[in-house]
Amino acid sequence: MLDKRLLEDVLARTMSTGADFAEIFVDYTRNNSINMIGGRVDSITDSTVSGVGIRAFLGLRSVSASTTDLTREGLMLCADNVAGAISESKAEVKIHLTSRIFPNINPVKIVPDTEFKSVKIDLLKRAYFTAKEYDPAIVQVSATLMDVDHQIQIANSEGLFTQDRQIRTRMPVSAIAERDGQRANGSNSPGRRMGLELFDIFQPEDIGREAAREAMVKLTAAYAPAGKMSVAIENGFGGVIFHEACGHSLEATSVAKGTSQMCGKLGQQIANPKVTAIDDGTIANAWGSIDIDDEGTPSQRNVLIENGILKSYMIDRFNGRRMGMASTGNARRQSYAYEPTSRMTNTMICNGPDKNEDIIASMEYGLYAVKMGGGSVHPMTGAFNFAVEEGYMVRDGKICEAVKGASLIGTGSEILHEIDMVGQNLATGQGMCGSASGSIPTDVGQPLIRVRSITVGGRA
Amino acid sequence: MTYERIVEIVKKTTAQLGITEYELYYDASSNMGCETFQQEIDSFTSGASCTMQMRVVKDGKMGVATTELVSEEEIEALIARAVENATVTENDDKPLLYAGGAEYRQVPECPENNATSAELKAFALDGARILYGTDERMSDGTACAAEVWNSEEHILNSNGLNLSRKGSGCVTYLMAALDNSTEKQMDYKIFRTAFDEIDREAEAKEIAKAAAAKFGAGSVKTGTYDIVIDRQSMMQILSTFLPSFYADNVQKGLSALNKSALGTDIASPKVTITDDPFLPGNNLQTAFDGEGVPTYTKNIIENGQLKLFLHNLTTALKDGVESTGNGQRSGAKITTGVFNLLIQPGTVSKDELLAMADGGIYVTEMKGFHAGADLTTGDFSIESAGFMIEGGKVGRAVKSFTVAGNFFTLLKDIVELDNNLDTKGHAYRRIMCPDVLVRGMAVAGE
Repeated sequence: MLDKRLLEDVLARTMSTGADFAEIFVDYTRNNSINMIGGRVDSITDSTVSGVGIRAFLGLRSVSASTTDLTREGLMLCADNVAGAISESKAEVKIHLTSRIFPNINPVKIVPDTEFKSVKIDLLKRAYFTAKEYDPAIVQVSATLMDVDHQIQIANSEGLFTQDRQIRTRMPVSAIAERDGQRANGSNSPGRRMGLELFDIFQPEDIGREAAREAMVKLTAAYAPAGKMSVAIENGFGGVIFHEACGHSLEATSVAKGTSQMCGKLGQQIANPKVTAIDDGTIANAWGSIDIDDEGTPSQRNVLIENGILKSYMIDRFNGRRMGMASTGNARRQSYAYEPTSRMTNTMICNGPDKNEDIIASMEYGLYAVKMGGGSVHPMTGAFNFAVEEGYMVRDGKICEAVKGASLIGTGSEILHEIDMVGQNLATGQGMCGSASGSIPTDVGQPLIRVRSITVGGRA
Repeated sequence: MTYERIVEIVKKTTAQLGITEYELYYDASSNMGCETFQQEIDSFTSGASCTMQMRVVKDGKMGVATTELVSEEEIEALIARAVENATVTENDDKPLLYAGGAEYRQVPECPENNATSAELKAFALDGARILYGTDERMSDGTACAAEVWNSEEHILNSNGLNLSRKGSGCVTYLMAALDNSTEKQMDYKIFRTAFDEIDREAEAKEIAKAAAAKFGAGSVKTGTYDIVIDRQSMMQILSTFLPSFYADNVQKGLSALNKSALGTDIASPKVTITDDPFLPGNNLQTAFDGEGVPTYTKNIIENGQLKLFLHNLTTALKDGVESTGNGQRSGAKITTGVFNLLIQPGTVSKDELLAMADGGIYVTEMKGFHAGADLTTGDFSIESAGFMIEGGKVGRAVKSFTVAGNFFTLLKDIVELDNNLDTKGHAYRRIMCPDVLVRGMAVAGE
């Protein structure tokens, strides 16, 4: 991390042509991952990300530059690049930084980067062999233990000088089943914003077993039918429906420029009254949690939708200027090399009034989507998609045979009204969300919900 | 720190640690870009970065470590970390460092891109002005962005390899967002050619027309349709399933293809897929791959027959073949990649292709491949939009449907390809395709 006096000088240089705000983001990140395939350690990723991103604003213009050259000369050159591009006037600016320490709401017990690799390999073997030995039809397993130690320092022209250390650990396991010429895969990737104590919560054996179980279910599944029907979407990663159908459209990234389907809808009924949704970066040790965002604003719990009414957007400092609204602590960036913008943290639909058993019982014919894959959305039109990894047909209120190969598609503004039952088993799932400011960890979540009618992209 | 100084420290440190087999990879790159909003420069970015990677051999195993922090202490720590990583690696891959002395094809020098920030801004502003001038319905979201980059790479190893190359390029996009007061629609094009090679007046008109054509899109009835997949969507499909042809995935059972598929017909006889590192007109011609192995032009599929899998040195040794020169650098071990991948064009025009698919759907947008496609089986189900083909011509706009199938079945079901392979504009990750006609695909809609 860099010296305060040096940062003051670099900020002053950045402001020297008349910018009205300047910021420095210092990033030192250790990325480790160990991959096991065929029962042996196959590859190890060991990389250090190190650099600085400098930004300046002048009204509604933003200029940024980044460098890996951390010498005084390198930083001043980077500051000059920003100053020269934002304005050509002259300004004498003096910066005085004051240290601020924000509460650490994500305590870490075992720092993974300092642990012996043999310890991590033992954890991997437990997951790997449980998955491999689950059934003779499991022909291949890939298990990875990844940990990130992301240390950041933020200083700005308003005098803020703060830092944070964000440690994350995750174990993605995938299993491939093969029998009679049929193939299927299953996966499971739990993670938390914590160290190796992750495995006090999730036993590696359970992680591996779940991946293998899913592969075996899909091995004998028929292709899902195609067309519109009722769909019950389970908790956990099922919350990707809200993340794609609505979450991205509530990010100031698209709202500020009028390119979101949700522009100008604050206070309006945009979802079924049973839907209340939040973005909460303050949940201790949750995958998407942050003590402070990447502009140094403390993370918040933001109610996005309350009883179907739009209450808030997710806002960063720059887009907040255009919107005339304050930051909600949602500015995030993958690294120093990306400009931060408003992004989600842990986003979820809260528990609702319906009993889970009533939801399935209510369906005459439809799909019960137990595990979801990723998805994507076009914020302007709200058209979204996401994949069903494990699903079952429902007939006369009963769960029937497994089906595979389906995606669900729709339009955000329509689908939010179609969520007509909300259950009570809220749980979250972990994902990496890719957007303008790079790839960042986010939790999605919900209880079991029913979507009255949605297009199922099967092929039967 | 200069590259020469880095090499000195690497040589000294490896000698001190008794490491006799090692490889240094060094990449220094810079970029500058800007984007417009409401016909003004909204954001301007620039970056300069340096990455170094060490591969070392210790007790018959390869270890790798990468860093962006270039200092004497960090280089020493980097080498120590690579050694530690070698000691815990358990695969039976023979550690291979390519020897120097191979013959490499001469490729045109890549001139440094010296565009100034003022030129870049002027180009983007001009692009935005042209876009807004083409249609009164242009609205917020209409934008032009422009970016230039330069890079310098070195590979140096203890086996005598000492290669370097310079690269440069530019990327621009034109995006039209039309608002007809009841709905907004957009379309865009990405260009990877020199700025002055782009006819922006003509391109802007085409993009605006494409966006406007999407207004009032209706639904499609669920069923089975003949589908003309446009070049952009076909590039995405090919990009998604490309790793099926990587020998590494085949050897590990992660590809839907296995070794016995070699030499068999896996696609329609009309399909030839080529990886060409020397594609004319492409300013990224490449004489060596990520391991320093000479590259060459090869057909992966030739008239429907699978000719080869793509290899690096490690996977080639396992299969007892020569590397195809497709080694690629990654954060961990050497992986596999392509240079310029193209599906060879057919002989009919786009109009003739559409006429062959009357009653079918012309798919012009597909999205969500990272989720809706399964590499291990080839299965996919993808959100799509496009146009009905009515009277053999592009008809009414349609949206909110999925196209589902299997990549390898699709390859067999291609009945025709059009004769228009655009190798300059609209390139998607250096993959180029014509429009293709596929018979009988499952569509889920209303």
